[in-house]
Amino acid sequence: MVEKGRISAFQMGRMIYLAITPTAILTTPAITFKFAKQDMWISPIWAFCGLITLYAVFRLHAIYPGRNIVQACEAVIGRLPGKLLGALFLLYYLYLIGIILREYGEFVVGSFLFTTPLIVVSGSMVLVCAIAVRGGVEIVGRFAELLLPAFVTLFLFIIIPIIPDLRVPNMFPIMANGITPSLAGAFVLQTWFSELISASFLLPLVADQKKAKTSVLIALLMIVLTLVVANLATLMLLGDITGGYTYPFLILARYINLAEFFTHLEAIFMAIWVLGAFVKICVFFYVTVLGAAQWMNLSDYRPIVFPIGLLVTLSSMWVAPDLQKLTFSISTSVTFSAMTMFVIVPMLLLCLAWVQKRWRGTAAKG
Amino acid sequence: MKWTAVLGIAALLALMAAYEWPKTKGKKEKTAFAAIAVLGGLLASWLVFYPETPGPTQCLDALYKPLVKMIENLTQERSG
Repeated sequence: MVEKGRISAFQMGRMIYLAITPTAILTTPAITFKFAKQDMWISPIWAFCGLITLYAVFRLHAIYPGRNIVQACEAVIGRLPGKLLGALFLLYYLYLIGIILREYGEFVVGSFLFTTPLIVVSGSMVLVCAIAVRGGVEIVGRFAELLLPAFVTLFLFIIIPIIPDLRVPNMFPIMANGITPSLAGAFVLQTWFSELISASFLLPLVADQKKAKTSVLIALLMIVLTLVVANLATLMLLGDITGGYTYPFLILARYINLAEFFTHLEAIFMAIWVLGAFVKICVFFYVTVLGAAQWMNLSDYRPIVFPIGLLVTLSSMWVAPDLQKLTFSISTSVTFSAMTMFVIVPMLLLCLAWVQKRWRGTAAKG
Repeated sequence: MKWTAVLGIAALLALMAAYEWPKTKGKKEKTAFAAIAVLGGLLASWLVFYPETPGPTQCLDALYKPLVKMIENLTQERSG
């Protein structure tokens, strides 16, 4: 066993929540608005990919207990093809962290630290995350446990002061053109929901297996709820101009003006964003490192944390030349590839595993 | 300027090795560390000199070209 640490089901749920939400409330409102207009708050409810992915993860874990999806690959389709598919998974994870890190870097450089080079912002984040990941899953789990209350408090601190200024008519007419616009808006969100595949790597490390399923499903529900609230607040405050901003949720934080005293609270948003991105990158980083160590049959994953950190930084510089291209690829090819790798492939694996099990069962009987 | 960047990458690799190498036990782990570090170093130096090299995103764009086109048309319809 590469990882000796164990996390509780509760910690796993928190890790999953923080591994999805932070970047989702940052980038998606603008993209969702383009497709769904005033129905953008309905879009997060269509979390199909999340449910399918979680189903595949749980069923595969029931058939191969104690194995994550990369290890299950080898058991299902044989050693060599399994290794190849596992490598593809890990490379895709590397690519996805690159995207996440780039989003983080572009946001910090574009909104706060205007003259700092991008590589300094993302490099320092990778260094901090590498130190946390080197500490093992227990450390990352405790960070998630510690930072979630702060994340939620700060989130509410942005939403509650603007409640009096929300204009409910902005959300009308609800479903004027049927459910199609909200479904189209949900398309880009499927990337985030399919990221729930990380649960497959954390599930074997959970000490109380019975509660794990409930915990992850609650996490999914909370993710949907957070996104609905964030999109609803953005829509009711900004209305038709939502699509004009790259980060609509940041505008909400800027808008807060309590008694002419509490103004320019975007620092709060910055805090949310750095906390959230830290846990998110840690979880993805950890999954990649653990997967790579298992893939190479190492006895310890710690030696490869820093070299993989270097690859992560490179990947973040390499994924896109600028923010426009990044946002465009997130709403197109990244979504398609995430759906292929994290939804279709696990489902196919599950089908194969299920057929094998049935076939072996009848062979044993006959 | 570019060579300074390469020097920086080399220094980074040296720092990583100095920190990790004495702690690493087992031949396999040492090989894995060295292999990934060398790969990272080479890729980093390559990107310093040729930052325009088509990346993974272009590769995925090419793979999903028909679907990407479809979404592009849909976006134009909605926003137009």
